[in-house]
Amino acid sequence: MIKVSDLKKDFPIFDREINGKRLTYLDSGATSQKPNSVINEMTNVYTNMNANVHRGTYVLSSETTAKYEEVRNKLKNFINAYSSDEIIFTKGCTEGFNFLANSICKDLNSGDEIILSEIEHHANIIPWQMAAAKYNLKINYVNISESFELDFEHLESLLNKNTKVVSIVGESNISGMLPDIKKINSLVKDKTDAVYIVDGAQLVPHRKIDVQDLGIDFLCVSGHKMLGPTGIGVVWGRKELLENLDPAYGGGDMIEEVFYDTATWAPIPHKFEAGTPPYVEAIGLGAAVDYLSNLDMNSVQKHSDDLREYAKNKLENIDGLNIIHTNSKLAGCTFAMSVDGVHATDVSLMLDTFGVAVRAGHHCVQPFHRKLNLDATFRATGYIYNDEEDFDILSNAIEESIKLLT
Amino acid sequence: MSIQEKVEGYKKTLALFPNPQEKYQYLIEQAKKSEEFPTELRIDEFKVNGCQSQVWLVPEEKDSKLYFKSDSDALIAKGLVTLIASIYSDETPIDIVNSEIDLMEEFELGVILSPARRNGAFSMLKTIREFSQKLAD
Repeated sequence: MIKVSDLKKDFPIFDREINGKRLTYLDSGATSQKPNSVINEMTNVYTNMNANVHRGTYVLSSETTAKYEEVRNKLKNFINAYSSDEIIFTKGCTEGFNFLANSICKDLNSGDEIILSEIEHHANIIPWQMAAAKYNLKINYVNISESFELDFEHLESLLNKNTKVVSIVGESNISGMLPDIKKINSLVKDKTDAVYIVDGAQLVPHRKIDVQDLGIDFLCVSGHKMLGPTGIGVVWGRKELLENLDPAYGGGDMIEEVFYDTATWAPIPHKFEAGTPPYVEAIGLGAAVDYLSNLDMNSVQKHSDDLREYAKNKLENIDGLNIIHTNSKLAGCTFAMSVDGVHATDVSLMLDTFGVAVRAGHHCVQPFHRKLNLDATFRATGYIYNDEEDFDILSNAIEESIKLLT
Repeated sequence: MSIQEKVEGYKKTLALFPNPQEKYQYLIEQAKKSEEFPTELRIDEFKVNGCQSQVWLVPEEKDSKLYFKSDSDALIAKGLVTLIASIYSDETPIDIVNSEIDLMEEFELGVILSPARRNGAFSMLKTIREFSQKLAD
Protein backbone atom coordinates (compact mmCIF):
# COMPACT_ATOMS: atom_id res chain seq x y z
CA MET A 1 0.00 0.00 0.00
CA ILE A 2 1.23 3.46 -0.87
CA LYS A 3 1.83 5.79 2.07
CA VAL A 4 1.64 9.21 0.46
CA SER A 5 3.22 11.16 3.32
CA ASP A 6 6.39 9.03 3.05
CA LEU A 7 6.40 8.89 -0.73
CA LYS A 8 6.08 12.67 -1.07
CA LYS A 9 9.53 13.04 0.51
CA ASP A 10 10.97 11.57 -2.69
CA PHE A 11 9.58 14.47 -4.73
CA PRO A 12 11.47 17.70 -4.04
CA ILE A 13 8.80 19.87 -5.69
CA PHE A 14 6.53 19.34 -2.69
CA ASP A 15 8.91 21.42 -0.57
CA ARG A 16 7.54 24.45 -2.42
CA GLU A 17 4.75 26.65 -1.21
CA ILE A 18 2.41 28.32 -3.69
CA ASN A 19 0.85 31.63 -2.68
CA GLY A 20 1.78 30.83 0.91
CA LYS A 21 -0.07 27.50 0.80
CA ARG A 22 1.04 23.89 0.51
CA LEU A 23 1.24 22.75 -3.10
CA THR A 24 -1.80 20.70 -4.07
CA TYR A 25 -0.70 19.38 -7.44
CA LEU A 26 -3.58 17.85 -9.35
CA ASP A 27 -2.34 18.24 -12.92
CA SER A 28 -0.47 14.96 -13.38
CA GLY A 29 -2.64 14.27 -16.41
CA ALA A 30 -0.60 17.01 -18.09
CA THR A 31 2.70 16.00 -16.57
CA SER A 32 3.80 14.17 -13.45
CA GLN A 33 6.28 15.43 -10.87
CA LYS A 34 9.70 13.77 -10.71
CA PRO A 35 11.27 11.82 -7.86
CA ASN A 36 14.86 12.48 -6.78
CA SER A 37 15.94 9.16 -8.27
CA VAL A 38 15.01 10.36 -11.78
CA ILE A 39 16.55 13.80 -11.34
CA ASN A 40 19.73 12.35 -9.82
CA GLU A 41 20.10 9.66 -12.45
CA MET A 42 20.00 12.22 -15.27
CA THR A 43 22.49 14.42 -13.43
CA ASN A 44 24.66 11.36 -12.93
CA VAL A 45 24.75 10.64 -16.67
CA TYR A 46 25.69 14.23 -17.53
CA THR A 47 28.21 14.39 -14.69
CA ASN A 48 29.93 11.05 -14.97
CA MET A 49 29.47 9.28 -18.26
CA ASN A 50 27.99 11.48 -20.95
CA ALA A 51 28.84 10.39 -24.50
CA ASN A 52 26.76 9.72 -27.57
CA VAL A 53 25.32 6.21 -27.70
CA HIS A 54 26.07 3.42 -30.21
CA ARG A 55 29.01 5.29 -31.73
CA GLY A 56 32.03 5.45 -29.52
CA THR A 57 34.63 2.81 -28.85
CA TYR A 58 35.59 4.33 -25.54
CA VAL A 59 34.53 3.84 -21.94
CA LEU A 60 32.09 6.72 -21.61
CA SER A 61 30.16 5.83 -24.74
CA SER A 62 30.00 2.16 -23.92
CA GLU A 63 28.73 2.91 -20.39
CA THR A 64 26.07 5.31 -21.65
CA THR A 65 25.04 2.88 -24.40
CA ALA A 66 24.74 0.02 -21.91
CA LYS A 67 22.59 2.16 -19.60
CA TYR A 68 20.42 3.34 -22.47
CA GLU A 69 19.86 -0.16 -23.86
CA GLU A 70 19.18 -1.49 -20.36
CA VAL A 71 16.12 0.79 -20.24
CA ARG A 72 14.59 -1.14 -23.14
CA ASN A 73 14.78 -4.23 -21.00
CA LYS A 74 13.23 -2.44 -18.01
CA LEU A 75 10.34 -1.33 -20.22
CA LYS A 76 9.99 -4.80 -21.71
CA ASN A 77 9.49 -6.17 -18.22
CA PHE A 78 7.29 -3.24 -17.16
CA ILE A 79 4.68 -3.91 -19.88
CA ASN A 80 5.56 -7.59 -20.39
CA ALA A 81 6.58 -7.22 -24.03
CA TYR A 82 7.75 -10.34 -25.86
CA SER A 83 11.17 -8.84 -26.54
CA SER A 84 13.13 -5.69 -25.74
CA ASP A 85 13.50 -5.19 -29.52
CA GLU A 86 9.82 -4.25 -29.50
CA ILE A 87 10.50 -1.13 -27.40
CA ILE A 88 10.92 1.87 -29.72
CA PHE A 89 12.01 5.13 -28.10
CA THR A 90 10.20 8.25 -29.32
CA LYS A 91 10.03 11.88 -28.16
CA GLY A 92 6.66 11.10 -26.61
CA CYS A 93 3.20 9.76 -27.31
CA THR A 94 2.54 12.39 -29.97
CA GLU A 95 5.57 11.37 -31.98
CA GLY A 96 4.57 7.76 -31.47
CA PHE A 97 1.19 8.31 -33.11
CA ASN A 98 2.75 10.32 -35.94
CA PHE A 99 5.22 7.52 -36.58
CA LEU A 100 2.52 4.85 -36.54
CA ALA A 101 0.10 6.85 -38.69
CA ASN A 102 2.79 7.57 -41.27
CA SER A 103 4.24 4.09 -41.39
CA ILE A 104 1.01 2.10 -41.26
CA CYS A 105 -1.15 4.26 -43.54
CA LYS A 106 1.29 4.39 -46.42
CA ASP A 107 0.67 0.69 -47.06
CA LEU A 108 -3.14 1.03 -46.99
CA ASN A 109 -5.47 1.30 -49.97
CA SER A 110 -7.72 4.20 -50.84
CA GLY A 111 -11.04 3.78 -49.01
CA ASP A 112 -9.58 1.79 -46.11
CA GLU A 113 -10.93 2.78 -42.72
CA ILE A 114 -9.51 3.93 -39.41
CA ILE A 115 -11.54 3.79 -36.22
CA LEU A 116 -10.96 6.25 -33.38
CA SER A 117 -13.31 7.25 -30.56
CA GLU A 118 -15.05 10.56 -29.94
CA ILE A 119 -13.00 11.17 -26.79
CA GLU A 120 -9.49 10.84 -28.24
CA HIS A 121 -6.67 13.25 -27.46
CA HIS A 122 -5.66 15.34 -30.49
CA ALA A 123 -2.42 13.30 -30.65
CA ASN A 124 -4.56 10.29 -31.58
CA ILE A 125 -6.68 12.23 -34.08
CA ILE A 126 -4.56 14.63 -36.08
CA PRO A 127 -1.82 12.22 -37.29
CA TRP A 128 -4.62 9.97 -38.62
CA GLN A 129 -6.41 12.93 -40.22
CA MET A 130 -3.16 13.91 -41.95
CA ALA A 131 -2.54 10.37 -43.17
CA ALA A 132 -6.19 9.96 -44.20
CA ALA A 133 -5.99 13.08 -46.36
CA LYS A 134 -2.75 11.88 -47.95
CA TYR A 135 -3.84 8.31 -48.69
CA ASN A 136 -7.60 8.87 -49.12
CA LEU A 137 -8.64 6.91 -46.04
CA LYS A 138 -11.84 7.21 -44.04
CA ILE A 139 -11.97 7.91 -40.29
CA ASN A 140 -14.92 6.73 -38.20
CA TYR A 141 -15.42 7.75 -34.58
CA VAL A 142 -16.95 5.40 -32.02
CA ASN A 143 -19.65 7.14 -29.96
CA ILE A 144 -19.07 7.94 -26.33
CA SER A 145 -22.29 7.47 -24.33
CA GLU A 146 -23.92 10.03 -22.02
CA SER A 147 -22.26 8.32 -19.08
CA PHE A 148 -18.88 8.83 -20.84
CA GLU A 149 -18.39 5.18 -21.76
CA LEU A 150 -17.32 3.67 -25.07
CA ASP A 151 -20.37 2.51 -27.05
CA PHE A 152 -19.43 -1.09 -27.88
CA GLU A 153 -22.49 -1.66 -30.07
CA HIS A 154 -21.45 1.28 -32.18
CA LEU A 155 -17.86 0.02 -32.34
CA GLU A 156 -19.12 -3.36 -33.49
CA SER A 157 -21.25 -1.74 -36.20
CA LEU A 158 -18.24 0.22 -37.50
CA LEU A 159 -15.90 -2.76 -37.80
CA ASN A 160 -15.79 -4.21 -41.30
CA LYS A 161 -13.38 -5.72 -43.83
CA ASN A 162 -12.11 -2.25 -44.78
CA THR A 163 -11.12 -1.42 -41.19
CA LYS A 164 -7.33 -1.44 -41.04
CA VAL A 165 -6.57 0.55 -37.89
CA VAL A 166 -8.38 0.84 -34.56
CA SER A 167 -6.72 3.34 -32.25
CA ILE A 168 -8.47 4.07 -28.96
CA VAL A 169 -7.48 5.64 -25.68
CA GLY A 170 -6.66 3.23 -22.85
CA GLU A 171 -7.54 5.71 -20.08
CA SER A 172 -9.29 8.95 -20.97
CA ASN A 173 -7.48 12.15 -20.01
CA ILE A 174 -10.78 13.88 -19.24
CA SER A 175 -13.39 11.36 -18.08
CA GLY A 176 -11.12 8.67 -16.66
CA MET A 177 -12.88 6.13 -18.94
CA LEU A 178 -11.12 2.75 -18.96
CA PRO A 179 -12.55 0.92 -21.95
CA ASP A 180 -12.36 -2.87 -21.81
CA ILE A 181 -9.21 -3.39 -23.88
CA LYS A 182 -9.55 -7.16 -24.12
CA LYS A 183 -13.14 -6.82 -25.33
CA ILE A 184 -12.13 -4.27 -27.99
CA ASN A 185 -9.24 -6.51 -29.01
CA SER A 186 -11.40 -9.58 -29.48
CA LEU A 187 -14.01 -7.60 -31.47
CA VAL A 188 -11.28 -6.17 -33.70
CA LYS A 189 -9.59 -9.53 -34.21
CA ASP A 190 -12.90 -11.37 -34.82
CA LYS A 191 -14.23 -8.97 -37.41
CA THR A 192 -11.21 -7.44 -39.13
CA ASP A 193 -7.56 -7.85 -39.91
CA ALA A 194 -6.91 -4.37 -38.49
CA VAL A 195 -4.19 -3.48 -36.03
CA TYR A 196 -5.37 -2.32 -32.60
CA ILE A 197 -3.38 0.53 -31.06
CA VAL A 198 -3.87 1.60 -27.45
CA ASP A 199 -3.13 5.19 -26.42
CA GLY A 200 -1.36 4.49 -23.15
CA ALA A 201 -0.45 8.08 -22.22
CA GLN A 202 -2.67 8.04 -19.11
CA LEU A 203 -3.06 4.28 -18.79
CA VAL A 204 0.54 3.14 -18.39
CA PRO A 205 1.40 5.53 -15.50
CA HIS A 206 -1.57 4.32 -13.45
CA ARG A 207 -2.28 0.67 -14.20
CA LYS A 208 -0.45 -2.61 -14.49
CA ILE A 209 -0.15 -3.37 -18.19
CA ASP A 210 0.61 -6.72 -19.73
CA VAL A 211 0.59 -6.39 -23.52
CA GLN A 212 0.77 -10.14 -24.02
CA ASP A 213 -2.28 -10.72 -21.86
CA LEU A 214 -4.19 -7.85 -23.52
CA GLY A 215 -3.42 -9.22 -26.98
CA ILE A 216 -3.11 -5.76 -28.53
CA ASP A 217 -0.78 -4.79 -31.41
CA PHE A 218 0.68 -1.42 -30.47
CA LEU A 219 0.89 0.73 -27.33
CA CYS A 220 1.96 4.38 -27.19
CA VAL A 221 3.56 5.51 -23.94
CA SER A 222 4.48 8.96 -22.63
CA GLY A 223 7.52 9.15 -20.34
CA HIS A 224 6.83 12.44 -18.58
CA LYS A 225 3.39 11.39 -17.37
CA MET A 226 4.90 8.43 -15.48
CA LEU A 227 7.55 10.25 -13.40
CA GLY A 228 10.05 10.38 -16.27
CA PRO A 229 11.47 13.43 -17.99
CA THR A 230 9.92 15.21 -20.96
CA GLY A 231 11.10 14.38 -24.48
CA ILE A 232 10.93 10.62 -24.14
CA GLY A 233 8.20 8.12 -24.91
CA VAL A 234 7.82 4.62 -26.20
CA VAL A 235 5.97 2.81 -28.92
CA TRP A 236 5.62 -0.86 -28.22
CA GLY A 237 4.61 -3.04 -31.14
CA ARG A 238 4.54 -6.73 -31.92
CA LYS A 239 7.86 -7.77 -33.40
CA GLU A 240 6.42 -9.19 -36.63
CA LEU A 241 4.41 -5.99 -37.22
CA LEU A 242 7.38 -3.71 -36.52
CA GLU A 243 9.60 -5.73 -38.81
CA ASN A 244 7.17 -5.17 -41.68
CA LEU A 245 6.79 -1.43 -41.11
CA ASP A 246 8.95 1.12 -42.88
CA PRO A 247 10.57 3.81 -40.74
CA ALA A 248 8.93 7.24 -40.70
CA TYR A 249 12.20 9.14 -40.17
CA GLY A 250 15.57 8.73 -41.84
CA GLY A 251 19.00 9.69 -40.58
CA GLY A 252 21.92 8.44 -38.58
CA ASP A 253 21.85 5.23 -36.56
CA MET A 254 18.81 3.69 -38.28
CA ILE A 255 20.66 2.25 -41.26
CA GLU A 256 22.43 -0.91 -42.24
CA GLU A 257 24.09 0.41 -45.41
CA VAL A 258 23.84 3.68 -47.27
CA PHE A 259 24.54 4.27 -50.95
CA TYR A 260 24.17 7.47 -52.94
CA ASP A 261 20.85 6.31 -54.36
CA THR A 262 19.43 4.09 -51.65
CA ALA A 263 19.82 2.69 -48.15
CA THR A 264 18.90 -0.39 -46.15
CA TRP A 265 17.54 -0.30 -42.63
CA ALA A 266 18.97 -1.55 -39.38
CA PRO A 267 16.95 -4.25 -37.61
CA ILE A 268 14.27 -3.23 -35.08
CA PRO A 269 14.27 -1.29 -32.82
CA HIS A 270 17.02 0.89 -34.29
CA LYS A 271 15.49 1.36 -37.73
CA PHE A 272 12.83 3.54 -36.09
CA GLU A 273 15.27 5.67 -34.08
CA ALA A 274 16.94 8.05 -36.51
CA GLY A 275 19.53 10.46 -35.18
CA THR A 276 20.95 10.84 -31.70
CA PRO A 277 18.23 9.54 -29.40
CA PRO A 278 17.28 11.38 -26.21
CA TYR A 279 19.41 8.90 -24.29
CA VAL A 280 19.65 10.91 -21.07
CA GLU A 281 15.87 11.22 -21.02
CA ALA A 282 15.56 7.50 -21.76
CA ILE A 283 17.85 6.71 -18.82
CA GLY A 284 15.71 9.06 -16.69
CA LEU A 285 12.66 7.11 -17.81
CA GLY A 286 14.46 3.93 -16.75
CA ALA A 287 14.80 5.37 -13.24
CA ALA A 288 11.08 6.24 -13.29
CA VAL A 289 10.23 2.67 -14.29
CA ASP A 290 12.39 1.42 -11.40
CA TYR A 291 10.58 3.75 -9.00
CA LEU A 292 7.14 2.55 -10.14
CA SER A 293 8.24 -1.09 -10.19
CA ASN A 294 9.55 -0.79 -6.63
CA LEU A 295 6.18 0.58 -5.56
CA ASP A 296 4.59 -2.30 -7.51
CA MET A 297 2.10 -1.37 -10.23
CA ASN A 298 -0.63 -3.35 -8.46
CA SER A 299 -0.30 -0.90 -5.55
CA VAL A 300 -0.17 2.08 -7.91
CA GLN A 301 -3.38 0.86 -9.55
CA LYS A 302 -5.09 0.26 -6.21
CA HIS A 303 -4.06 3.72 -5.03
CA SER A 304 -5.57 5.23 -8.19
CA ASP A 305 -8.83 3.29 -7.74
CA ASP A 306 -9.17 4.18 -4.03
CA LEU A 307 -8.37 7.84 -4.64
CA ARG A 308 -10.81 7.98 -7.56
CA GLU A 309 -13.57 6.57 -5.38
CA TYR A 310 -12.90 9.12 -2.63
CA ALA A 311 -12.55 12.05 -5.05
CA LYS A 312 -15.71 11.10 -6.94
CA ASN A 313 -17.83 11.10 -3.78
CA LYS A 314 -16.28 14.34 -2.60
CA LEU A 315 -16.74 16.22 -5.89
CA GLU A 316 -20.25 14.90 -6.48
CA ASN A 317 -21.34 16.65 -3.29
CA ILE A 318 -20.43 20.12 -4.51
CA ASP A 319 -23.48 22.17 -5.48
CA GLY A 320 -23.41 23.54 -8.99
CA LEU A 321 -20.46 21.44 -10.15
CA ASN A 322 -20.86 19.47 -13.39
CA ILE A 323 -18.50 16.52 -13.61
CA ILE A 324 -17.42 14.74 -16.79
CA HIS A 325 -16.50 11.42 -15.32
CA THR A 326 -17.25 7.83 -16.17
CA ASN A 327 -19.81 6.25 -13.87
CA SER A 328 -18.58 2.69 -14.10
CA LYS A 329 -17.01 0.80 -11.23
CA LEU A 330 -13.50 1.35 -12.52
CA ALA A 331 -12.10 4.58 -13.93
CA GLY A 332 -8.99 6.69 -13.80
CA CYS A 333 -8.68 9.38 -11.13
CA THR A 334 -9.39 12.13 -13.66
CA PHE A 335 -12.23 14.61 -13.44
CA ALA A 336 -13.03 17.31 -15.97
CA MET A 337 -15.42 19.80 -14.41
CA SER A 338 -17.46 22.87 -15.20
CA VAL A 339 -19.67 25.32 -13.33
CA ASP A 340 -22.66 26.80 -15.16
CA GLY A 341 -22.07 30.46 -15.99
CA VAL A 342 -18.47 30.44 -14.74
CA HIS A 343 -15.49 30.16 -17.06
CA ALA A 344 -13.10 27.29 -16.41
CA THR A 345 -10.05 29.58 -16.49
CA ASP A 346 -11.60 31.77 -13.78
CA VAL A 347 -11.99 28.70 -11.58
CA SER A 348 -8.45 27.47 -12.25
CA LEU A 349 -6.96 30.93 -11.56
CA MET A 350 -8.89 31.08 -8.28
CA LEU A 351 -7.85 27.55 -7.34
CA ASP A 352 -4.23 28.58 -7.91
CA THR A 353 -4.65 31.19 -5.17
CA PHE A 354 -5.41 28.27 -2.82
CA GLY A 355 -2.22 26.52 -3.96
CA VAL A 356 -4.24 24.08 -6.08
CA ALA A 357 -2.80 23.35 -9.54
CA VAL A 358 -5.38 22.17 -12.07
CA ARG A 359 -5.61 22.68 -15.80
CA ALA A 360 -8.25 24.68 -17.68
CA GLY A 361 -9.02 24.38 -21.36
CA HIS A 362 -10.11 21.62 -23.70
CA HIS A 363 -7.19 19.36 -22.66
CA CYS A 364 -6.47 18.55 -26.33
CA VAL A 365 -9.91 16.93 -26.60
CA GLN A 366 -11.67 19.78 -28.38
CA PRO A 367 -14.11 17.80 -30.57
CA PHE A 368 -15.56 16.07 -27.51
CA HIS A 369 -15.86 19.38 -25.62
CA ARG A 370 -17.67 20.76 -28.66
CA LYS A 371 -20.04 17.77 -28.58
CA LEU A 372 -20.85 18.65 -24.95
CA ASN A 373 -21.26 22.34 -25.88
CA LEU A 374 -18.39 23.31 -23.62
CA ASP A 375 -15.55 25.67 -24.56
CA ALA A 376 -13.44 24.59 -21.65
CA THR A 377 -13.41 22.59 -18.46
CA PHE A 378 -11.03 22.52 -15.53
CA ARG A 379 -9.49 19.18 -14.77
CA ALA A 380 -8.09 17.49 -11.69
CA THR A 381 -6.04 14.31 -11.93
CA GLY A 382 -4.64 12.36 -9.01
CA TYR A 383 -1.44 10.35 -8.96
CA ILE A 384 0.70 8.37 -6.52
CA TYR A 385 1.73 11.46 -4.52
CA ASN A 386 -1.86 12.65 -4.05
CA ASP A 387 -4.06 11.61 -1.18
CA GLU A 388 -7.50 12.27 0.26
CA GLU A 389 -6.31 15.54 1.77
CA ASP A 390 -5.52 16.88 -1.73
CA PHE A 391 -9.10 16.26 -2.81
CA ASP A 392 -10.44 17.77 0.45
CA ILE A 393 -8.43 20.91 -0.29
CA LEU A 394 -9.59 20.87 -3.92
CA SER A 395 -13.25 20.51 -2.94
CA ASN A 396 -13.11 23.34 -0.41
CA ALA A 397 -11.23 25.54 -2.87
CA ILE A 398 -13.81 24.83 -5.61
CA GLU A 399 -16.63 25.80 -3.24
CA GLU A 400 -14.84 29.00 -2.22
CA SER A 401 -14.01 29.81 -5.86
CA ILE A 402 -17.63 29.38 -6.94
CA LYS A 403 -18.64 31.84 -4.19
CA LEU A 404 -16.03 34.36 -5.33
CA LEU A 405 -16.97 34.03 -8.99
CA THR A 406 -20.77 34.15 -8.85
CA MET B 1 -3.83 61.40 -18.43
CA SER B 2 -0.91 59.70 -20.18
CA ILE B 3 -0.54 55.95 -20.56
CA GLN B 4 2.30 56.05 -18.03
CA GLU B 5 0.16 57.96 -15.50
CA LYS B 6 -2.74 55.55 -15.88
CA VAL B 7 -0.41 52.58 -15.41
CA GLU B 8 1.01 54.23 -12.26
CA GLY B 9 -2.53 54.75 -10.96
CA TYR B 10 -3.48 51.09 -11.42
CA LYS B 11 -0.16 50.02 -9.96
CA LYS B 12 -0.97 51.97 -6.77
CA THR B 13 -4.47 50.53 -6.58
CA LEU B 14 -3.32 46.95 -7.17
CA ALA B 15 -0.58 47.34 -4.55
CA LEU B 16 -3.38 47.75 -1.99
CA PHE B 17 -4.19 44.07 -2.48
CA PRO B 18 -1.33 41.99 -1.14
CA ASN B 19 -2.39 38.56 -2.36
CA PRO B 20 -3.39 37.27 -5.81
CA GLN B 21 -6.87 36.31 -4.71
CA GLU B 22 -7.68 39.90 -3.73
CA LYS B 23 -6.14 41.17 -6.94
CA TYR B 24 -8.38 38.81 -8.92
CA GLN B 25 -11.37 40.01 -6.90
CA TYR B 26 -10.46 43.59 -7.86
CA LEU B 27 -10.35 42.56 -11.54
CA ILE B 28 -13.69 40.80 -11.17
CA GLU B 29 -15.18 44.04 -9.75
CA GLN B 30 -13.80 45.97 -12.72
CA ALA B 31 -15.37 43.41 -15.03
CA LYS B 32 -18.74 43.69 -13.34
CA LYS B 33 -18.63 47.50 -13.37
CA SER B 34 -17.51 47.75 -16.99
CA GLU B 35 -19.55 49.29 -19.76
CA GLU B 36 -21.95 46.83 -21.35
CA PHE B 37 -20.51 45.25 -24.49
CA PRO B 38 -22.93 44.84 -27.41
CA THR B 39 -23.26 41.09 -28.03
CA GLU B 40 -23.32 41.68 -31.80
CA LEU B 41 -19.67 42.73 -31.50
CA ARG B 42 -18.69 39.30 -30.16
CA ILE B 43 -17.48 38.30 -33.60
CA ASP B 44 -14.28 36.74 -34.91
CA GLU B 45 -13.10 40.04 -36.40
CA PHE B 46 -12.66 41.47 -32.91
CA LYS B 47 -11.50 38.31 -31.17
CA VAL B 48 -8.05 38.40 -29.58
CA ASN B 49 -6.13 35.26 -30.49
CA GLY B 50 -4.00 33.49 -27.92
CA CYS B 51 -6.22 33.86 -24.85
CA GLN B 52 -7.41 30.84 -22.89
CA SER B 53 -10.86 32.39 -22.69
CA GLN B 54 -12.58 34.33 -25.45
CA VAL B 55 -11.60 38.01 -25.48
CA TRP B 56 -12.86 40.72 -27.79
CA LEU B 57 -11.36 44.17 -28.36
CA VAL B 58 -13.11 46.70 -30.56
CA PRO B 59 -11.12 49.79 -31.52
CA GLU B 60 -12.79 53.06 -32.41
CA GLU B 61 -11.15 56.20 -33.74
CA LYS B 62 -12.54 59.58 -32.70
CA ASP B 63 -10.81 62.97 -33.18
CA SER B 64 -7.44 61.31 -33.92
CA LYS B 65 -7.61 59.32 -30.69
CA LEU B 66 -8.30 55.66 -30.09
CA TYR B 67 -10.94 54.14 -27.80
CA PHE B 68 -11.35 50.46 -27.02
CA LYS B 69 -14.46 48.51 -26.09
CA SER B 70 -13.71 45.11 -24.60
CA ASP B 71 -15.29 41.91 -23.39
CA SER B 72 -14.52 38.34 -22.36
CA ASP B 73 -16.52 35.27 -21.46
CA ALA B 74 -14.28 34.81 -18.39
CA LEU B 75 -14.51 37.27 -15.50
CA ILE B 76 -10.84 37.67 -14.57
CA ALA B 77 -9.83 38.06 -18.23
CA LYS B 78 -12.65 40.57 -18.66
CA GLY B 79 -11.35 42.57 -15.69
CA LEU B 80 -7.87 42.54 -17.16
CA VAL B 81 -8.95 43.56 -20.65
CA THR B 82 -11.18 46.31 -19.14
CA LEU B 83 -8.13 47.67 -17.38
CA ILE B 84 -5.95 47.42 -20.49
CA ALA B 85 -8.65 49.05 -22.64
CA SER B 86 -8.92 51.96 -20.20
CA ILE B 87 -5.14 52.46 -20.16
CA TYR B 88 -4.96 52.72 -23.95
CA SER B 89 -8.24 54.52 -24.62
CA ASP B 90 -8.30 58.27 -25.18
CA GLU B 91 -4.72 58.11 -26.52
CA THR B 92 -3.26 58.82 -29.94
CA PRO B 93 -2.04 55.86 -32.02
CA ILE B 94 1.52 57.22 -31.95
CA ASP B 95 1.54 57.46 -28.12
CA ILE B 96 0.31 53.87 -27.93
CA VAL B 97 2.95 52.62 -30.35
CA ASN B 98 5.67 54.48 -28.47
CA SER B 99 4.67 53.20 -25.04
CA GLU B 100 6.60 50.39 -23.37
CA ILE B 101 4.96 47.03 -23.96
CA ASP B 102 5.96 45.56 -20.61
CA LEU B 103 4.66 48.51 -18.55
CA MET B 104 2.14 46.34 -16.76
CA GLU B 105 4.57 43.72 -15.52
CA GLU B 106 4.82 45.86 -12.40
CA PHE B 107 1.15 45.15 -11.65
CA GLU B 108 2.36 41.90 -10.11
CA LEU B 109 -0.68 40.05 -11.34
CA GLY B 110 1.19 36.77 -11.16
CA VAL B 111 0.31 34.06 -13.60
CA ILE B 112 -2.07 36.13 -15.71
CA LEU B 113 0.61 38.68 -16.51
CA SER B 114 3.65 36.45 -16.81
CA PRO B 115 5.78 37.65 -19.70
CA ALA B 116 5.20 34.56 -21.82
CA ARG B 117 4.55 35.48 -25.42
CA ARG B 118 1.71 33.00 -25.65
CA ASN B 119 0.03 34.67 -22.72
CA GLY B 120 -3.41 36.25 -23.09
CA ALA B 121 -2.41 39.68 -21.74
CA PHE B 122 0.43 39.83 -24.25
CA SER B 123 -2.05 39.06 -27.05
CA MET B 124 -4.37 41.84 -25.85
CA LEU B 125 -1.52 44.37 -25.89
CA LYS B 126 -0.32 43.12 -29.25
CA THR B 127 -3.81 43.59 -30.73
CA ILE B 128 -3.99 47.17 -29.43
CA ARG B 129 -0.51 47.99 -30.72
CA GLU B 130 -1.08 46.44 -34.13
CA PHE B 131 -4.22 48.47 -34.60
CA SER B 132 -2.45 51.64 -33.46
CA GLN B 133 0.50 50.93 -35.71
CA LYS B 134 -1.79 50.69 -38.75
CA LEU B 135 -3.25 54.12 -37.95
CA ALA B 136 0.11 55.64 -37.05
CA ASP B 137 1.69 54.62 -40.37
